[in-house]
Amino acid sequence: MSRFKIANIIAYGFVTLFSIYVLMPILVMVLTTFKSKREIFLEPLGIPSQFGISSFEKALSVGLGSFMLNSFIVSFFAVFLIVTISGMAAYVLSRIDFKINKFVYLLIVAGFAIPPAAVLVPLYTMVSNLNLLNSLFGVIMPLTAFGIPFTVILFYAFFLDFPKEVEEAATIDGCTKLQIFFRIIVPLSGPVIASAAIFQTVWIWNEFLLALIMLTSDDFKTLPIGLLKLRGEWTSDWGAIMAGLTIAVIPVLIVFLIFQKYFVRSLAGLGK
Amino acid sequence: MNKNNTQTNNFSLSNDKVSATILLVPALIFCTIFIFIPAIGTIVGSFYSYSLTSMNNWKWVGFGNYVKATQDEYFWVALKNNFIIVFASIVLQVGVGTILAAILDRGIKYGRVIFRTIIFTPMVISSVAVSLIWLIIYDPNVGILNAIFKSIGLSTPSKGWLGDPNISIWMIMITAAWQNTGFMMVLILAGLQGVSKEVYDAAEIDGATGVKAFWYITLPMIRNVLIVAILITTIGAFKVFEFIFVFTQGGPSNATQVLGTYIYLQAFNLLHMGYANALSVILLIIALFLGWLQLKSSRKA
Repeated sequence: MSRFKIANIIAYGFVTLFSIYVLMPILVMVLTTFKSKREIFLEPLGIPSQFGISSFEKALSVGLGSFMLNSFIVSFFAVFLIVTISGMAAYVLSRIDFKINKFVYLLIVAGFAIPPAAVLVPLYTMVSNLNLLNSLFGVIMPLTAFGIPFTVILFYAFFLDFPKEVEEAATIDGCTKLQIFFRIIVPLSGPVIASAAIFQTVWIWNEFLLALIMLTSDDFKTLPIGLLKLRGEWTSDWGAIMAGLTIAVIPVLIVFLIFQKYFVRSLAGLGK
Repeated sequence: MNKNNTQTNNFSLSNDKVSATILLVPALIFCTIFIFIPAIGTIVGSFYSYSLTSMNNWKWVGFGNYVKATQDEYFWVALKNNFIIVFASIVLQVGVGTILAAILDRGIKYGRVIFRTIIFTPMVISSVAVSLIWLIIYDPNVGILNAIFKSIGLSTPSKGWLGDPNISIWMIMITAAWQNTGFMMVLILAGLQGVSKEVYDAAEIDGATGVKAFWYITLPMIRNVLIVAILITTIGAFKVFEFIFVFTQGGPSNATQVLGTYIYLQAFNLLHMGYANALSVILLIIALFLGWLQLKSSRKA
């Protein structure tokens, strides 16, 4: 019996310690936001004596509002395109006996493996030649492309398990595949659409490398690139930097807490 | 009659093909324009020497850029750092993630959802924000890491936590583990939950319980999930960029470069586009090899 108790204490102790390791930096971020400069230097481990908001004003002065708006626009359009285009392609791959299907699926998997860093120079040259540097459209298009392979794989697994009887009935009634997809499949795919959309939203909201090379003007920067400006502007004013991070991070955390079920499901599906 | 029938079939088949093509083509167009053509462009460009400003001034150099890479000590440093990050990430993220998943699966009764949610949280924060948060923790003047070390009487590194490459690479690992271990935990937890209760009951009759049962029975059963977890971690370790970009910019004197940051440096700071392409091709080959391994292992699963 006592052996079980010791095992139990070790188990709870381990997850508790790990949770503290995870929560501590977030706590430091929020507390530093409210501390005075003096407190930040003299009492790194202390709690702020008052809850001032001057740090927030400094952080917002670098343009966080507009960075956030840009991130919102980029995420919204890219995620919409990714989910629509991937769903359509995955449906064809899972339902229609095309000779090229196997080849297309291999291409998709290859696309999943290729990281943006491996195609950085030609991609930059292409977007530059199209005169799309420093435009949200110019970053939405490649981000959409890089989001498609993973989402196709996610939808493909879902459609394979999807009962075929309804579609067969619809085919007998004379519906084309196009009609079946939009009228029958899409309305019944809520959970997988939610999983895909949430996963891609988080990925695109946080994407750094492509945005870094393509968006150099402040008017078009997305949040991850804009956050670097905090450090440039308020070099050692940690209160302002942490205030900016708090503004950027807390909304994402709230969205995550609301939708975490779908998010965890889409990631867990990767292992299957 | 017979002939007529065949015609109808043909018609509906071609109709299907038209619909299918309409549904499939957008995905192919996007991936071709923004992934495959640039990938080919990377390979072609790696045989030339050119810079960003003289885009039309391409000079054929054959395998010159690759020869340059083999003689470039910083390329080898970057590659070595990627491999250190791969191995350390597997131990820290998959290893600790497995332990956490096992505890959440059967080790504890209360608070599973709360612990899972907390530990997974950093995954949704952008790596730039994560790096900036940890920057204040590692800061020699105001950081809590120094404060904690001093309060228990330990000495702190003289060049700061990020100034000495032998230490900073580990600080990068701790930050990466902070962000990604929860992801591995969730992935492995999903695998564990697929193991049926009967297996554990049978194991108990045979006298295997607790850690023993986990090691000899559960782990082999989730072998495929573990392989996927290791592959995802390995792929992620080759994509590492933000932590290094924010923490050290690859310095001091290129000691903390990885392939991603070194490609960026060559392309956009030094404007050696051809050489950056050659480095990208090396990354491309590694990435495709890992992708192929992943495809093979997921087919087995």
